[in-house]
Amino acid sequence: MDEIIVQAKGITKYFPGVLANNHIDFELKKGEIHTLLGENGAGKSTLMNILDGIYHPDEGEIYIKGKKVHIQNPFDAMANSIGMIHQHFMLVDTLTVLENVALGLKSQGLYIDKKEISKQIETISKKYHFNINPYSKIWQLSVGEQQRVEIIKTLFRKAEILILDEPTAVLTPQESEDLFKILNQLLKEGKSIIFISHKLDEVMEISDRITVLRKGKVVGTVHKKDVTKGYLAKMMVGREVLFSLERKPLKRRGEVLKVKELEAYNDKGFKALKKISFSVFGGEIFGIAGISGNGQKILAQTITGLRRATRGKTILNDADITNASPKVIANKGVNYIPPDRLKVGLIPNLDTTENAILRSYDREPITKRNFIDHQKAAEYAKSLIRKFNIMVPRIDAPVKLLSGGNMQKLLLAREIAERPKLLIAVHPTRGLDVGATEFIRKQLLKERDNGLAVLLISEDLDEILMVSDRIGVIYEGQIMKVINIEDAERNKIGLLMAGVNSPKN
Amino acid sequence: MNVTATSILITLLATTVRSGTILLFPTIGEIFAERAGILNLGIEGMIIIGAFFGFVVSYTTQNPYLGFVVGMLAGGIASLIHAFISITLRGNQVVSGLALTIFGLGITSFYGQKWINNKLPESIHAVAIPGLSKIPFIGPVFFKQDYIVYFSYILVLVMWLILYKTKPGIHLRAAGQNARAADAMGVNVNATRYFWTFFGGLMAGAGGAYLTVAYATFWLEGITAGRGWIAVALVIFAMWNPVNALIGAYLFGGIDALQFQLQASGTTIPSSLLSMQPYLLTFIIIIIATLIVRARHLGAPKELGTPYAREEK
Amino acid sequence: MLLFEKRETVSTKLKAAIPLVSVFLGLVTGAIAILFTRTNPIIVYQALVKGAFGSVYTFSETLVAAIPLILISAGLIVAFRMNFWNIGAYGQYIIGAIFGSFFALNMPATMSRPLLLTIICLAGFLGGALWGLIPAALKAFWEVNEVITTLLLNYVALYILKYLMYGPWRNPESHGFPLSKPFELNAQLPRLLPRTRIHFGIILGIIAVIIVYIIIKKTKFGYEIRVIGENKRAARYAGINITKNIFIAMAISGGLAGLAGLAQLSGVIHMLQIEINPGYGYTAIVVAWLASLNPIIAMLISVAFGGLEAGGYQIQMAIRVPFGIVGTIESAVLFFLLGGEILKKYRIKLRRNIL
Repeated sequence: MDEIIVQAKGITKYFPGVLANNHIDFELKKGEIHTLLGENGAGKSTLMNILDGIYHPDEGEIYIKGKKVHIQNPFDAMANSIGMIHQHFMLVDTLTVLENVALGLKSQGLYIDKKEISKQIETISKKYHFNINPYSKIWQLSVGEQQRVEIIKTLFRKAEILILDEPTAVLTPQESEDLFKILNQLLKEGKSIIFISHKLDEVMEISDRITVLRKGKVVGTVHKKDVTKGYLAKMMVGREVLFSLERKPLKRRGEVLKVKELEAYNDKGFKALKKISFSVFGGEIFGIAGISGNGQKILAQTITGLRRATRGKTILNDADITNASPKVIANKGVNYIPPDRLKVGLIPNLDTTENAILRSYDREPITKRNFIDHQKAAEYAKSLIRKFNIMVPRIDAPVKLLSGGNMQKLLLAREIAERPKLLIAVHPTRGLDVGATEFIRKQLLKERDNGLAVLLISEDLDEILMVSDRIGVIYEGQIMKVINIEDAERNKIGLLMAGVNSPKN
Repeated sequence: MNVTATSILITLLATTVRSGTILLFPTIGEIFAERAGILNLGIEGMIIIGAFFGFVVSYTTQNPYLGFVVGMLAGGIASLIHAFISITLRGNQVVSGLALTIFGLGITSFYGQKWINNKLPESIHAVAIPGLSKIPFIGPVFFKQDYIVYFSYILVLVMWLILYKTKPGIHLRAAGQNARAADAMGVNVNATRYFWTFFGGLMAGAGGAYLTVAYATFWLEGITAGRGWIAVALVIFAMWNPVNALIGAYLFGGIDALQFQLQASGTTIPSSLLSMQPYLLTFIIIIIATLIVRARHLGAPKELGTPYAREEK
Repeated sequence: MLLFEKRETVSTKLKAAIPLVSVFLGLVTGAIAILFTRTNPIIVYQALVKGAFGSVYTFSETLVAAIPLILISAGLIVAFRMNFWNIGAYGQYIIGAIFGSFFALNMPATMSRPLLLTIICLAGFLGGALWGLIPAALKAFWEVNEVITTLLLNYVALYILKYLMYGPWRNPESHGFPLSKPFELNAQLPRLLPRTRIHFGIILGIIAVIIVYIIIKKTKFGYEIRVIGENKRAARYAGINITKNIFIAMAISGGLAGLAGLAQLSGVIHMLQIEINPGYGYTAIVVAWLASLNPIIAMLISVAFGGLEAGGYQIQMAIRVPFGIVGTIESAVLFFLLGGEILKKYRIKLRRNIL
């Protein structure tokens, strides 16, 4: 049991301007679940990508089963029985499950023996009760199923060491429980697991040992039985962490947004919203909980005019804004923090000023008679920077050089400065460190207290539970149920997220 | 239908196949390059380079088959410029492809001037396939052709098999659709892209060489006359499927053959309006194809034109 | 193995060095190409420089060749900044020339010169703009790939020109040659200097450059096309009217190419014919890219490339070096420039094998 199967010594990895891993020592024993705990940006994924051969360390050594290895690429990792399940699945969504499993297989010749592979997939699938059809295209599968395909891929390649990078981020609480059962079954079969997470509850549930990383360095390695959640949190962040935010009592005002039987299609041409209805009131945060891909993104796009509604209505303060242009909707007081800041909300190659004025560039004082006053624009950007304490290297540097937290602050500052009536925030804290996350959440609460209606869409159930006043659970484009925060129970919401509506309610 | 009308139609369709073959090779090549994630707008340039080298080698060695092979290789070598700029140096693929086209047209005009209006002493001849060529109508259209046309039939089939049934096929589709995932599974994305860009160049060269060693058998500055751009359009028409490419290439081969035959027959329609037809029709077809691709949510390979760099988040 | 390390800042020196080195290496490539024809490249380049800048007259010819490049590249810059790949300046140039010619050939010779010139310039601009608006509309409404549509329309335009020249617009007195009637004096752009062909088009070019510069640097429209070009989804998110901007940008881009075509006829050729040098439409792409989409720099580069074109004609005439060398050099410059751009984004190091 105490055989050390993976040992990393003094791993150091530089990225330009960042020391992502600073002399990290880490070991994995056979048959254990060893959790790597750390904030976003602490260096967990970098370390694991080094083990998987995607990155190469600048310094340090790796031993597998006591033998020094040089892992040049994912092939070498597989040859050393390492299988990694990435946070963003490494699946090609236009290919079938079978083709994804076959991708990069050395054992296959030129011609793919589909029958043989499919047989093996079905064997694995049966053993772990996966219920995956090898001939399904990836995009037809749910997120949970896709994760199982990732596990199949590693098992197919006879992996002994499994690395799971934040695997529960996309799952319901129940699906997470199922995943943990699978992991325990794998342990019994003699496999060893590295589990990456920043969620303390699940870390306390599943780990044998925990190594905590902070800013690229190892803070320490501990046995689960020796520590508490609070202790781990302090190790992770370096200070006391609030598990809940202080909230003023709800002062609910009039109805701001009414969504009535709204329907819309996704890019693949499937109906993603099915007669969805709900309301958001001034002074409250209405959280929408759900697993990724149940229509959240489409909902935000449809309300903000970026996607056509094929049916139903969105009403803002009694005015019909269904299928109005994004500009009209924004001018009527709907502002939007999109899920992917670099792809939608910001323009990575333009500078802070040019990004700051994206909402206000066509109005006075910045624009007069079609001409932009660059000085006024810069002043405007500086005022946002001051108000939200945004750290920028230089005001004329491309915004892509900002840290994730500062980018998100800039985005939030810009949207709030518009004094909206409704603010839609989708995954506003994804990928941010604890400090930035707290900041963003506090800002949302502050705006709520000022009477703003906030529609918060997030896959992070903890976040929803922490800041929402009411919670609507979305499943396959419909709201399953709306729950007041006082009545919210994790488990019940988890079941709703999976589409199970318990009959007694 | 009377006998003469039938024989005219057969001649027309047989010409269609040969004219279509000029487009078929480059279209297939570009389908694979794009499937792997590389947009090469230098097809026109590579075709004319293939056409020029094919012609010169055929002329000097009197061996049109050698000319064809050299023309093909010349196209392949030219594609490596684009591959190096867009894969290794991560440059802008649209501009690099255009530069390759300007390069091909420029260099062949530079070296080609003294070859203008020379005619090949020996060109590639048709060889009837015993049996198959006796099938009424079909036989004389498809099986009384030259070896290169037969090679193109096999090529379409083989490339279809490679794309959908083999490991390299999965690898190249993954490289164009999700390079990061392909990389994580141990596929060498950049090597895959180099290979298929090179293949695209070979095919463009083949199309060009076929033009000069079998179809036209003479050299003229700018002899390709925009066929490369029609091939780029055909890739969309074919929805990135090699079998559809065959249909598209023959369709345009047919229009080309028809307008040519009409001009030869002394019609009163002005020749410039007839010569315009292939471009005008491609223009219309590309609009329709775009609408179909959109309605069916097919779309281009997701990472088409996007360079891949591993150590970037 | 090459190792790329991301760069955060780029020095002005490097920014200026990349295009200059690219031009130099492009010329070296051209020299190698010339060597293969057993010709001494030094002699060729000497003749080229002499043919471009050797005398007042040859330099004036360089400027004449620069005029269409200045106009077209200024227009292309507007489209390229929006990431709209207008490869159709060739066709827009032809259609502009045809539109302008229509008025030049059909208005009475007695009409006042400034009035007719204004009309034909507007017609040239309009013709190019309309030809550019076809792919713009297809892109805006149906997302049809503009590289393909603009290119195909080049060939369509060329055959329209051929049709007119062999058909309805052929001068009955041209002995069967595909030429129109010559332009009357009132349809000719004034020449600015005696004994040269430098014409009023150069002033139009400078005005166009200034206007384009102001548009892209100072106006709301300039900001919007920049956002669209950098991140279309962000533009949609911000409520920028992408359709409208595509239309405006392509009207400017096509219009200036059309004006260039018309100016070439009205200022230099004085009649419509088949060979009216639409190839400037492709050269201008190289110019715009080499200038990093800055219209003022593009104007200077246009003069250099005008020299290449004018010198290219000279060496073809004088020492029989085919004009194809010009395209070879231009494309080589572009290759080096594209390759060199990576130095702006990354520091390149050779990886020492540490393992």
